[in-house]
Amino acid sequence: MSITQDKIKGLHERTAKVMAGGGQKRIQKQHSLGKFTARERIEMLFDASSFVELDRFVTHRCTNFGMDREEAPGEGVVTGYGTIHGRLVYVFAQDFTVVGGSLGEMHAAKICKVLDMAMKMGAPIIGINDSGGARIQEAVDALSGYGKIFYRNTLASGVIPQISVIMGPCAGGAVYSPALTDFIYMVKDTSQMFITGPQVIKAVTGEEVSAEQLGGANTHNAISGVAHFIADNEKACLEQIRRLISFLPSNNLDAVPVVENFDDPQRIEEELNTIIPDQSNQSYDMKRIIAKIVDCADLYEVQPYYAENIITAFARMDGQTIGIIANQPKVMAGCLDINASDKSARFIRYCDAFNIPLLNIVDVPGFLPGISQEYGGIIRHGAKMLYAYSEATVPKVTLVVRKAYGGSYLAMCSRDLGADQVIAWPTAEIAVMGPAGAANIIFKNDADMTTKTEEYIKNFATPYQAAKRGFVDMVIEPKETRAVLINAFSMLASKREGRPAKRHGNIPL
Amino acid sequence: MKKFLITFKGQQYELGVEEISNTTTGVTTTASPAPKPAVSVTSVRPDSSLESSPKPVAAIKGSGAQGVSAPMPGKILAVHIKAGEKVKRGDVLFILEAMKMQNEIMAPHDGSIANISVSVGQSVATGDQLATFG
Repeated sequence: MSITQDKIKGLHERTAKVMAGGGQKRIQKQHSLGKFTARERIEMLFDASSFVELDRFVTHRCTNFGMDREEAPGEGVVTGYGTIHGRLVYVFAQDFTVVGGSLGEMHAAKICKVLDMAMKMGAPIIGINDSGGARIQEAVDALSGYGKIFYRNTLASGVIPQISVIMGPCAGGAVYSPALTDFIYMVKDTSQMFITGPQVIKAVTGEEVSAEQLGGANTHNAISGVAHFIADNEKACLEQIRRLISFLPSNNLDAVPVVENFDDPQRIEEELNTIIPDQSNQSYDMKRIIAKIVDCADLYEVQPYYAENIITAFARMDGQTIGIIANQPKVMAGCLDINASDKSARFIRYCDAFNIPLLNIVDVPGFLPGISQEYGGIIRHGAKMLYAYSEATVPKVTLVVRKAYGGSYLAMCSRDLGADQVIAWPTAEIAVMGPAGAANIIFKNDADMTTKTEEYIKNFATPYQAAKRGFVDMVIEPKETRAVLINAFSMLASKREGRPAKRHGNIPL
Repeated sequence: MKKFLITFKGQQYELGVEEISNTTTGVTTTASPAPKPAVSVTSVRPDSSLESSPKPVAAIKGSGAQGVSAPMPGKILAVHIKAGEKVKRGDVLFILEAMKMQNEIMAPHDGSIANISVSVGQSVATGDQLATFG
């Protein structure tokens, strides 16, 4: 065999070794847990055969504790780029079959390289986490690796969409890279995130808790709000990510993706005329309104199981991505509380960072009263919403369908926080406080208080007081909402709005 | 979005095929051969998102699996169940008047009610137990 042919053969042998990952036995173990390998996940995530791998032959240089004899094909992480719906996306996927997917100096270097490239090229990055944590043998080199990734996550924040996928353990310092990114996906039963695991908790506080209870997908989707999406299995999870990507621009300078729309922009929805109950203390499902308004009743909810009293979702209007923030009267009367403020403020800022217009659908009775809310800091959390809306310069359209009272009316992007269009249904009640409470104060000493209260409700629990001052641009029949909104967003497409030059604002955190 | 009429086993189906933009600039290409037509199908399922898939997260929320608690401070307007009664997840157990609304408090999971801790007209605070499951 010629020397050249020999060299080519050598390449193939080396490649085969890396492709085999941690070997058949470990791969089988991975499969038996209902998990796929790093390479299989990438294959499912990207368009067919679009993935290009980088840094295949990177190896660690640790010699401590016998690590010089330990081979780690691919350094326990697969990195590269490919396409999703034909658009460039970067990826890194930790390989649990290779030294437990543990993170060392060179493992981190591979991740940093794709992060840097994604930023330079202005393309989303998806990180698939499945790692035992820091490679202890590499000591501070491993620690430094995490630090370098955190730093890049922060620099990339607001420049490119960063999506984290948890598909295995993610504990200790490792959780903070996902936490710094825009969206976290978790898979039921097979992914966990926590700072300190069950053993440590038991040793320190005596509390007993399983890993899944402590940091599983349910926990982080419903209780902590750390994660944004949950999937039943890995395949469904990766499909969801492809769907999310279809809504997002590739970077902060790109316009939102526009897909061909086949849902009539002028569609009249008679049902919207009857959706609001006659009694203003009855609830209904806000998602029914949203489904009637957006293209093809198609919305992709962000954090659907956390703070369900407010809905945050991506959808399309005439083919163009929008972000929706809507009160949900069905859950806790749709009031604003600490978690709802947190959830929506973060979503608003995401949309603003990536040029996604905002649609705010308002039916809000107020901020939730209570000692735990006050002690928990509802003042500073609620302020996040005011800040996020005021700061946002993307087109902002507010639709008031029913209640809009007091501070919560302002917090849902009123005209004064810079809404470009405020549209109200005739059922809107825009007022400084609930009519019964207000009448109670105003007519306190009045003999015919009941009659006067009724009169007050008739005159003040309406959109017309606000419309008189121009706080509301138009009052429309509910059935024509879709057409009116599409028109508004199209009118606002060329919106330009500046803000005073500053290093950065100081959002109350 | 392209629409196709497909006949399958004698039945006609209308199918909408949506091409997700495949340029990085985010402009839709309707015409001309795209470099790699990455086609994703959005079927026309009316209100699909309302019934959409993963429905996890039941028992883990709120006061734990064993009871139902008040999500916010308010007044009990109605009690729809009796002790010993079997309920299904989503059944309305109580009406809680709070935040200018009559809020339906629903069963977080299937089970039978062991004990009802509140009566009509009673004021409750956030987290107060309303009923326990047996």
